Amino acid sequence: MPEPPLSNFISIVFVAVGYLAFAALSTALAYAPTDAWTVWLASGWTLGLMLTQLRHRWIIPLAGAAVGAAIFALVLPEGRLGDAIGYAAIEVTAAAAGAFAAMWLAAPPLRLDSIRELGAFIAGALVQAVVGAALAAVWNVASGGSEAVRTFNVWSLAGFVGAILVAPLLMTWSAFRPKRSGGLTMPQFGAGAVACLLFLLSLYVIFSGDTERRFGGSVGTGLTYVPVLFMSLVALTWGARGASLVAFIGALIALFPTIRDVGPFAVADAFVGEAELEVQVYVAIVALTGLLIATLQVREHNALKEAREWRTRFEGAIGAHRLLAYEWDPIGGGLVVSGDTVAHLGIPAAKLTTVADWLSHVSPGERDATATAFALRADGALGPALTYRMTRPDGNAVTLVDEAQAIRDHDGTLYRVTGLVRIKDSE
Amino acid sequence: MTESRSAESRMSESPANDATAPHPGPAGATADGVFLIHGLGGTQYDLGSMHKRLKNAGLVTHSLTLPGHGTKPEDLVGVAAEDWIDAVVAKYREIRDAHPTLHLMGMCMGALLAAALAQREAHKKGRLVLLAPPVFIDGWATPWYRGLRPLLYALPGLRNKMKIEEEDPFGIKNEQLRAIVKAKFERGENFHYRWVPLECLRQVDRLRAMVMSTAGKIGCQTLVVHAREDELTSLRSANFLVEKIGGGRARMVVLEDSYHMVCVDNDREIVAKNVLEFFGAPMPGATTLLANEPKMTLDELGAATRALTTCLAGGDFTAVRALGIPDLTWVHPGENRIAGAHAGKALATFADRIRQAGSRGVQFTAFGTPVFNRGIALVPATLVVARDDARLESQGALMCAWHAGKLLEVRWFADDVERENGFFGPPDPASSGPSALEQAFEAATAASRRLKATDNDTLLSLYSLYKQASVGDAAGDRPGPLDMIARAKFDAWAKKRGMPVDEAMRGYVALVDELKKREAVAA
Repeated sequence: MPEPPLSNFISIVFVAVGYLAFAALSTALAYAPTDAWTVWLASGWTLGLMLTQLRHRWIIPLAGAAVGAAIFALVLPEGRLGDAIGYAAIEVTAAAAGAFAAMWLAAPPLRLDSIRELGAFIAGALVQAVVGAALAAVWNVASGGSEAVRTFNVWSLAGFVGAILVAPLLMTWSAFRPKRSGGLTMPQFGAGAVACLLFLLSLYVIFSGDTERRFGGSVGTGLTYVPVLFMSLVALTWGARGASLVAFIGALIALFPTIRDVGPFAVADAFVGEAELEVQVYVAIVALTGLLIATLQVREHNALKEAREWRTRFEGAIGAHRLLAYEWDPIGGGLVVSGDTVAHLGIPAAKLTTVADWLSHVSPGERDATATAFALRADGALGPALTYRMTRPDGNAVTLVDEAQAIRDHDGTLYRVTGLVRIKDSE
Repeated sequence: MTESRSAESRMSESPANDATAPHPGPAGATADGVFLIHGLGGTQYDLGSMHKRLKNAGLVTHSLTLPGHGTKPEDLVGVAAEDWIDAVVAKYREIRDAHPTLHLMGMCMGALLAAALAQREAHKKGRLVLLAPPVFIDGWATPWYRGLRPLLYALPGLRNKMKIEEEDPFGIKNEQLRAIVKAKFERGENFHYRWVPLECLRQVDRLRAMVMSTAGKIGCQTLVVHAREDELTSLRSANFLVEKIGGGRARMVVLEDSYHMVCVDNDREIVAKNVLEFFGAPMPGATTLLANEPKMTLDELGAATRALTTCLAGGDFTAVRALGIPDLTWVHPGENRIAGAHAGKALATFADRIRQAGSRGVQFTAFGTPVFNRGIALVPATLVVARDDARLESQGALMCAWHAGKLLEVRWFADDVERENGFFGPPDPASSGPSALEQAFEAATAASRRLKATDNDTLLSLYSLYKQASVGDAAGDRPGPLDMIARAKFDAWAKKRGMPVDEAMRGYVALVDELKKREAVAA
């Protein structure tokens, strides 16, 4: 259903205002010694908004970004309308290129809950940064400039880092829905909060103040690995949503001192802008580490969920047919019984871990014959289905029809005996 | 009838949860009642099979759909805690004088309402059961941002629009049951809202505050049932209530293998057992019959047994069913076409089979003098079944178990079982399980829950055919004119009086099929 025009207009204004806010923040983060952008957060805003939506709605963030970019270019010193239009066109083109590149690998909306989606997003961010930087370099040359290479370098790095910091915030938080119960529990939240506090605190201690005097020599640079550990813990407990938020805040803590030539990366620049480059790479790596760990965590969580669903389906199926299933290792002696043993036999499966346990519940009169049959099974002679009775702890007897099959190695050696036991009746 | 309610929510009223059509037996006027209150965003599904179990124990159950419930979540906006309290108070006052004893029972928010009701009405006419009362929202799965909600309450626009969703584990520890609940949500079944507005939680918070401040004034005997692993509200809630109400009046049962939805989760049997015991109600089952307090005088037992023998003398098994609990069981001995234990709906099938076997008449005659022992009556009798080519006269005795005017179980002890086996013939393997028609009926019942809302006449047709097929002829008092919905349903059901079970099943299946086809065409 098409959106009403007013709603679209409000959305475009919202995107433009957001773009301007991130552009202003990026301006505040410009690297003082070179007067160049360290991160261009507005690119992440546009790309993130696009990747959280289906393709037919991309026109809204693109339009909003165009308006925001044009206004931003106009309010810059010596801002001219022609430059503003050109700049807006570059931003829109780059964002569209990045979003299409991501879409080629994974269909939006992206939530960063799989490696494929994370890869698609990173690819999209790279394409956006490179396309934007290339167009900006061409524009520089076309408008008589002589800094095409520097423009390309600054634009591509700042754009990529900005995208890595902001877009994941939008992609993960846009799927947030308040729940009555479920999701992150209080203990998980508490553990994550401790890790988050340690991450932010360690960043602050390492990046604020005179690192050389505080830690001596290049120790401060080495200490920048410490927050990465805490970021990993945040990602493990809070997931991608928490990791993206904490990475963004952490990036601000690391960037603000560095752009003022303070902190571990500003100790000894081999060339002008080295600290800028180092901090750009650093915040990008911290953010990507968090996202990668969180995504792997989701993959494990999904695998567990799938396994649980399989188990539920299997137990449902055998339960509905009044069956128990077992797997017996005739060599090691271990027995694993599946199904509702408590309901059918009155015995928890944990107490049926060997054939001896199983046989101990068989009615005394039939125990020897059943034991003999199991001994034959261990030798590979499976025979027809066994029928015997078991006595429940409440004294009632149940009749079991026990049909076994062998799992053999490639050379025919018996590996396991698996059985399906039908619970016939109770007496 | 409210047009906006879904077809499912109305059609799901089976004998198990039909709160508005109590089944008084010979001693119906003296039967105890239970008023059950569901939880936030829920329906009677929250209470699992408690309605049925209570009815089977001879208690009359009453319930209501709380304001804002049973339709769509948006309807909860604008409903205040006072509206819920007013609704339960009004219902309580309506039913209070209909029973010598009236117990109150609530689940989750319904437990808070039951507690508020007991305090406001100074309830001493019965007992109070509070199932998983959420006095504190502090369970292990409550989200980290739960403490932020008072800040959001300050924003009127937001609190009406923000949706608070239900999420895994849905209050259920048992993974099979959880999968079922998940599937129900995915199918869009209207048994529980998928979300509630934030404003609604504000009202629950207000209700919690009311209960916390007034719980000490509850004067009746109270049972609090709470799961140790309740993911929504910790045991602290139960401890608080027991402490406030006082150890002399309140006691607690802690469940070890359930989450919040205690009536449907792993410990549901323990919950039912404790609730029935607390209400002093019997737990049906042959082994416990003699242990139960019958709650009938000898005269009442005699009158009830005479009513039963009158029905049996006329071969009217439908009337026999009307005397009993929904799960009334007829146990017939031997190995033949009609032998076995026939409970609930299966009793109607048994009646049809025995009528088929006796095309020229089925009746019990030559009743001897009954012998009574607590709720049990033992009546010598002769079963007479006649068809064109043969006639059976089988002597024996009927053992009938009664409780509070309701027939729980009838066992026929034939003197010569072999003779009955010979007359009725060997069991029909095809008839040992549900017949094809019964299977089709069950499938249609399940399919009906997925039908979209339809007009009231069609819903009444569905309801009446369902009741006729599953219960038999309409019995009990016609609901009063003020209860228009229950009255319309009862009238529709009563119009089917005399329709054989098979025919009602076939009619129901055909109607559901037709509605499904209509939906397919419309789609």
